[in-house]
Amino acid sequence: MKLVKKINKQNLPVILSFIVLFNFSFGAFLYNFTHDPYATNIIERLSTPGGAYLFGTDEVGFDIFSRTIIAGKIDLFISLSGTFAALIIGLPLGLMASDKTKNADRIMKVLDMFQAFPLLVLAIVIVAMWGNNIRNVIFAIILINVPRFTRLIRSEALTVRESRFIEVATAMGASKTRIISKHLLPNILGTLLAQASITTAHSIVVVAALSFIGIGVVPPEASWGSMIRAGSQYMITGQWWMSLFPGLAIFLSVLSFNTISQYILRKYEQI
Amino acid sequence: MLKIIFKKLIFIPIASFFVSSLAFVVVNLTPGDPVEVIAGGIASEETKQAIRVELGLDQNIYERYLDYLGDLSQGDLGTSFYTKVPVIDSINQYLFDTFELIIISLIIALFLGFIIGGIGAYFRGKALDRFTNFLLSIIQSVPDFFLGLLLIYFLFYKLQIVPAPIGRIGLTDVPPDQITGGLLIDSALSGNWETFRVGLKHAILPSITLGIFYSSYFGRTARNVLGNSLNSKQVEFAKSLGLSKFRIFIYALVDARTPIITYIAILFAGLFGACAIIETVFAWNGIGSWAIEKILMLDIPAIQGFILFAGLITLFTYTFLDILITYLDPRIRKKTL
Repeated sequence: MKLVKKINKQNLPVILSFIVLFNFSFGAFLYNFTHDPYATNIIERLSTPGGAYLFGTDEVGFDIFSRTIIAGKIDLFISLSGTFAALIIGLPLGLMASDKTKNADRIMKVLDMFQAFPLLVLAIVIVAMWGNNIRNVIFAIILINVPRFTRLIRSEALTVRESRFIEVATAMGASKTRIISKHLLPNILGTLLAQASITTAHSIVVVAALSFIGIGVVPPEASWGSMIRAGSQYMITGQWWMSLFPGLAIFLSVLSFNTISQYILRKYEQI
Repeated sequence: MLKIIFKKLIFIPIASFFVSSLAFVVVNLTPGDPVEVIAGGIASEETKQAIRVELGLDQNIYERYLDYLGDLSQGDLGTSFYTKVPVIDSINQYLFDTFELIIISLIIALFLGFIIGGIGAYFRGKALDRFTNFLLSIIQSVPDFFLGLLLIYFLFYKLQIVPAPIGRIGLTDVPPDQITGGLLIDSALSGNWETFRVGLKHAILPSITLGIFYSSYFGRTARNVLGNSLNSKQVEFAKSLGLSKFRIFIYALVDARTPIITYIAILFAGLFGACAIIETVFAWNGIGSWAIEKILMLDIPAIQGFILFAGLITLFTYTFLDILITYLDPRIRKKTL
């Protein structure tokens, strides 16, 4: 009985996190919206929350509830796919860089240089100059995160490579591919997944920051950042709901990914 | 020690060259055509060509790169496409404004972070530790610009204890004579305490926003590092000597200085870019909001100048950090020698 209780208490935050993320990813199919998220109703602009509009309406009469829900689809898609692609690129780079060769040093030197730049500004530059579209936002996310993954994978791989079982496997004549796939990867998988989760959380904020300053995903397409932007001028005059709800959506998604990351780390530490 | 410093410093010119080249590549190897934006949609082909020649965009990329490096060696970052103001002048004008914001924010972040992290480390494994950990997760998950807006709503609209987020001073206040370009520093230098007070009041919202946001970073570091040093051998020794708890805590702090200083330096350098959006939210005329404005206008020399500048700040900060840490930590000193 005690054991069941303990497991529940540990798992509960993670389960909640998945529910939150599921809600935002598939919200477009889960809810039966009473108001079209893409239709403006200019007569009922700036309606307060409650009443006909659950979360109120914004300055042009968009329904905030439905837009907050469907914005998750695009924002989470960009963050997840950008992170995933960065991981795919960073993995071979990181493994290569964990070799003790000249090339490895070169990869790390280039990455060090790259890290000297303000990454958020770099993302803004890429999207502003390469064109305002989702593909470039994803590209910016990849560019920001490849160095981070490479660095992490390298340092993890370096630690694992020092260990006995790799030494033994090498001595027994295991091939390089076998060592990497059977011995190295399983050992760094936990850290990698945890990092991917944190990176996704971070990417959500980057995507939001981009649309907050008016590039990337822009209206009429719904995104949390652009919704906060639309409401930002009204915070001074007290119409809080326009920015609050999309802001809470970002907060919940980021918190969810962070929670999942912490959970993964704890799980792998136990083993 | 001198040998180490020399070794680190000799790296700077090479790295500076790489940083400046990367700044050029990032901005110039892009498919976007600034001429289209500058000229507007209805400009004729002749007008566009004239603009292209005037801005030097008719040359190929190698010629432009050589020009850029040549100008750079004379300290010339080019002039803005639009305003014709030399980029270096703009950077000079806005740099200290951002500098002031970063310093105040970092002090707040350190203060808050150490309180939260210190509590966590002191009560490691207890309920208070779990609570501060939870608090840090919450702070970490709120985007800084959203936090800024929430603070505007509560502190300005509801409680009315801070001035409106419309810049560094009110519309009727007299700005000080320009010395460094930083409002607070200048008004203090010229003894204009009224403006200093107003400026400080206007700094409350943005610096608290950044301070709270980055306190989560310091909080986590402080908790881990202090937690480790509170459990270390020397603290055990100090305890057995019967020193007071406060004394022991101070010793643990000294033991934990290296990672904490590292964190301060990393955040300091990173904030030159990271505070850009907060500057925009609060109409803080700093280098970050200037950069964002220029980026959206595709003002190539200005963007290039900003990226180069931010890169150099990071480079110098990290080099200085390396030297400082080698000086502070005898273990690292031995290793590098």
